[in-house]
Parts: sequence; structure tokens; C-alpha cells
Amino acid sequence: MSALKRYWRVALGMVVIAALIIAPMYLNRYGLFILSQWAVMTIAATGLNLTLGYAGQVSLAQGAFVGIGAYAAAIMTANGMPLIAGLGVAIVLCFAIGWILGYPALRVQHHYLAFVTLAFSTLAFLVFRNESWLTNGIYGISNIPRPTILGYPTNRPLPFYYVCLGSLALVSLATWWLIRSPWGRAFVALRENPVRALSLGIDTRRYTLMAFAIGSALGGVAGTLYAPLTQYIDPVPFNLSLSLDLLMMVIVGGSGFFFGPFLGAMIAVLLPEWLRFTQGYYLMIYAVAVILLLIYSPTGILGILDRYLTERRTKAASALRAVAKSGLEPAP
Amino acid sequence: MKSGILAGILLATMTAGAALAQSGAPIKLANVAELSGGGATVGTNWKNGIDLAIEEINAKGGVLGRKLEVTHADSQSNPGVARAQVQKALDGEPYVLLGPGYSGSVKVTAPLAAEAGIAQIMGGEAAELTQGGNKFLFRTSFGQQSSMPKVAKYINDEVKAKSVAIVWVNNDFGRGGRDVITKELAKYNIKVAADLSTEAGQADFAADVSKIKGAAPDAVFVYLNEEESARILKELKRQGVTVPLIGETTLVGQKVVELAGDAANGARGHVGLTTDAPVDLIKAFREKFSKKYNYVPDHNGIKGYLAIYMIKATTEKMGKVDSKAFADNLHGLTIKATSEPGILMDATFDQNGDIDRQGFLVEIVDGKQVIKQVLPKLN
Repeated sequence: MSALKRYWRVALGMVVIAALIIAPMYLNRYGLFILSQWAVMTIAATGLNLTLGYAGQVSLAQGAFVGIGAYAAAIMTANGMPLIAGLGVAIVLCFAIGWILGYPALRVQHHYLAFVTLAFSTLAFLVFRNESWLTNGIYGISNIPRPTILGYPTNRPLPFYYVCLGSLALVSLATWWLIRSPWGRAFVALRENPVRALSLGIDTRRYTLMAFAIGSALGGVAGTLYAPLTQYIDPVPFNLSLSLDLLMMVIVGGSGFFFGPFLGAMIAVLLPEWLRFTQGYYLMIYAVAVILLLIYSPTGILGILDRYLTERRTKAASALRAVAKSGLEPAP
Repeated sequence: MKSGILAGILLATMTAGAALAQSGAPIKLANVAELSGGGATVGTNWKNGIDLAIEEINAKGGVLGRKLEVTHADSQSNPGVARAQVQKALDGEPYVLLGPGYSGSVKVTAPLAAEAGIAQIMGGEAAELTQGGNKFLFRTSFGQQSSMPKVAKYINDEVKAKSVAIVWVNNDFGRGGRDVITKELAKYNIKVAADLSTEAGQADFAADVSKIKGAAPDAVFVYLNEEESARILKELKRQGVTVPLIGETTLVGQKVVELAGDAANGARGHVGLTTDAPVDLIKAFREKFSKKYNYVPDHNGIKGYLAIYMIKATTEKMGKVDSKAFADNLHGLTIKATSEPGILMDATFDQNGDIDRQGFLVEIVDGKQVIKQVLPKLN
């Protein structure tokens, strides 16, 4: 990449970040809620992107991990403990459960693995609903407090949006670092060719479990933010449809691309809201738009960009080759 | 070009200003309901009831000479989405907020409406909704805390049952009803012989019914949605359970009779709000609704319809459109059907926002609802 291109990229990134910080100051409470929801869903989708996009393990359980995180946060904060304690419990719990859930992935792959995780998702929903002593069952938990950070209350929509955005920034930085570390390389090796990865000395067993555990832990982080965002949780939002939604976010955005979940969550959270002016048709139009997109580009939105860039690079390379070739040919 | 845009903006501002100044500007209402997802039947009935009432009122010149206008937003039956949509509705500063219908969605949105000081007229029936001291929340139907005591009393006084099997659907509606009836039955020392939780959309009740048979209760209390009620009635008949079957609106509705056929005969229940009620105004409402939408509404259709007439009656009593004073004026208000036919039956709203109104005990005889007893208004 030339220096100029890199500057352009950095500048674009700066503009987007500045917009995410400044623009919400002029939004109403509804806009802030939707943007906060986008940030939370992006965190959950980023986790799934690690599991699915980088390590190649299909999971239909990410919604359940968001639920586990949300319940951990809700139960603990409702009992007077700080949200950060809930976050800790959520991460440890989701990491451990994710690790255990990874074991079937050592034996089954692809859609079989999807079924195993689907079963887990249903199980988690039943636990949320039926274990009333812990989760208050179908009545749900209300009046979940929002945290006070460094003595600064975040009850209002704008401060809490910054909590979500800040968390997203931290998660993004950590993921960025992770996929560039030897671990990230090992995840990709696992996805591309597990046998070769094994023969190169990568402990595929450990990395498969790790991919599940880290992805699930990020789901837990998202859940910890979801609970104080809506301030009420019941089992219904964490059923299978959330897992499918998150899977869609990753695939629509571009599975295996770092910014895929950001775009995917934008489509899943913001697009239906923009389409609401069509009244009763908005969900249908939304569904058709997603289907058309995936027919046009099975690799998601970033897949389109990637294809375009590759084509341009190929063209440029062929042009160079042509020039070089003509230079070699003897003059007639 | 630029001056043209400027002139346009100027014109727009002026007309907007003029519209505000004019007292004939429409009164804005906002509805957030379950238009898709698991609660789509509930939300769509509610929405259609609202639209029907508004159409009627506007055709007669509106409220205090002003037309009503409503926006509908879909909560997808998800509390998180409901919260976002209610926030959006409140940002638009409506006169009154309508909906949602699911109790969970009401729980998450009620604090927002209260904070904005805007009255919320909703469809939720869970007992706890009106017990948290919210001064802006109103029901359109009996909460379970007022319907279940009547059912328990009936089971004790009329059926004289000593033990009851309870079958309930495991969502906030079914669970709420089950918890209240269990408490009420305990007051009469009636034993719960079996406590069976079932799933929404469950198709096969063979196992549940054989458990009921095993428990041999004096009566069965069925608290499921309409489709499931019809299925369990058929299964109860098939397995030859002959003890009295008692329920609520959802056991003895017209839809259950249509689906269950003969098996529905003998089912009894307490009905707070039914399109089959022997009240002329309700029959007329049912007629109008079916003509406009080509189907027979359930009680959620009546609830949406009533919500709008509650707004009309309260506003006319105040003599002005005042969003802040609305809730205060609806508390303690009695709306009589003689002066406001749209309310269908006399109704009183207490300080918690609960509704008091006539109720019925009905039994299905030869595929028809027969009113066995009219339960009068409490005050």
C-alpha cells in the first residue's frame, strides 16, 4: 500500500470516529438508543466473526451468550453490585461455557456443528425461562440500573451511548490486536485447512476451543451492555432469532473481514428503522434487500469491495505484464 | 436558485406556524404495538380497533372540533424494540401513548412515558403493571388481579370443587394468571391437584390430559391462548374427562367454539370483554369491525377501540387538549355508555389506572355462549 493510500484510510477512519462521537450530541433519545443498540450488537457480532469468520466454526449460540451476559449483569446489578463485577462474571462464565461448547466442534463441522449450537441456544432459553428462582422467569428483571463510571452517572441516553461506544472501541482494539497476533494467524489456518495447520504444528484442538471461548466471551460483553441499555430483560429477546440475527450480521457485513460486523450490525439494526416509513412492508422489504445482497455477493458487503479491489489489482498487474511483454518482443 | 430555496423555507415555516396557531390542528396520538412476531394477532386487533374508532370520531367532527391522528409503530413483540419505538413516539410529543399489548413491553416502556409525563393506555393484563405507583398508566381490560378472584369464587361457591388441575401457557400471560389463581384458590383451601405448564403453539396435549386424568381433580382450570384451548378441549373430550372445565376469556371465545366444535360444550369461564357479550353496543361494534376488516375481532380489538373513546371522553370532560392534565383527569373518571356509546359498557378508572366494569360468567351450550351470571361493577 502506498503512503498516500494509507493516509487516506487513516483520514477516513478519523472522520468516522469523529462522527460517531460528535453527531450523537444532536440526536434525540430514540436515535441515541438505536445507535447504542448498534454498538452493542456490533460487539456481539465481532465475537461471532472471530468464531465463524476467522476460525470457520459455525455457531448458532451467540444470542444465548448475549443472554447469559445480560442475565449476569441484570442479576448482579439488581442486587446492588457494580456493573463491572457483572462484566467480569459474564466474561468468565461465557468463556468457560464457550470453551465447553467448543468440544463438539472438535468432532463435528459445518451444519452438524450448527445443530449442536442450536440445541445449546434452546437450552439456554429454557433455563432463562424456567429457572425462576434465578432469572425471575417469564416476568423478567426490571429496573436494571445504569452504571456510574468514575463518579459520573450514565443514566441519560447520551452518556450511556458513550459507554457503549467506548466498550466497542476497546473490544475492537483488542480484536484488532488478536487477529494480527500468532493466535489470529492460527485461527485463519484452522479455517483454511485444518489438516495442514495441524501438520505445521498448530494445536488445532486448543485453537478451536479458544476461538469458541473468546467469541462467546465477547457475546457476554455485549449482553452486559444490553441489560442496562434496555433496563429490562426477559427470555424472549435471547431466543434463537437473536443468534440467527447475529449470524446474518456477520455474513451480510462480510464474514472474516474486520469491519464486517460493523456494517452487518448497521444493516440489521438501522436498515429496518430507516424502512419504517413503508409501514407494514418494512420487514418484507428488509428481508428482500438482504436476500438480493447475498445473491449478488455471497461474501457480504465487504466482499463486494474486496472483489473490486482484487479486480483492479489484477488489471493493473496484467497491464504491467503486457507492457513488460511488449518491451521484450523484438521490433518487427 | 438559492433565493427560491430560501423562499420555500420561509413559506414552510410560515405555514407550519399558522397550522400550530390554529386550534383545528389534529391531535397526535402514537401507538406502539405487536404488529409482527409472536404477538401479531394481539397487536393487529388492537391497531384495527384504534383505526376504527378514530375513523368514526373524525367522521363526526373529531374531539373538541379537532381531528385525531395516529401513528402506528411495530414493536416486533420484542421489549428492546418496543423501548426504542416508544422513545421515538415520545420524542414526537404525542397527546397520549397507546400500547403495547405484551406485559413485558409495557414494563420496559411505562417508566419512559411516566418520565415524559404522557399518559399511556395499554393492553397488558399482568397483575403487577398497575401496582408500582405509576400515575400515567391505564388499562383497557381487567388485570388478572381483578378477574382471577371472581373465577376462584365461582369454583368454590358454584362448582364446589375441592381440588383443581391448572393448565397454563408458559408466557407472561399464562404464568401471571396461574400465579394469581393459585393464590386465590389457596384462600378457599382448594388443592391444586396438578400444575401443568405448556408451550405457546403446542399441538399435542395428550400427555398433559393424561396427567390431569391421573390427578383426578374436581375441576380443571384452563388458561391457554385460543388455538391451544381448542386443542386441549378436543383432547379432554377424547380421553373422556368429564369434570367441569373452567377458564377465562380465552377458553370460551367464539374462535374456540369454531375450532373445537362439540368439544367446547360445557366449558365455562369468566369473561371481562368479549365480542359475544349480550350488550347491544358491543354487537354493533362487532358488526362494524367485521364489515371493515372482514374478520371477527377478539377482545384486543375492543381494547384498542375503547382506548380511543377513553381519550375522547377524558378530553371532552377537561374541555381542552392538555397532555399534562390528561392522566389526572382520567383517574377516578366514570364513563357512561349512555353519554359516550363508544365506551360500550360503563367503566370506571381508579387511582392505579385499573378499570372497573361489568363481567360475565358464561357457559358453552350447543356451540353458543350462554351467559349464566352477570357480575356487576364493583362500584
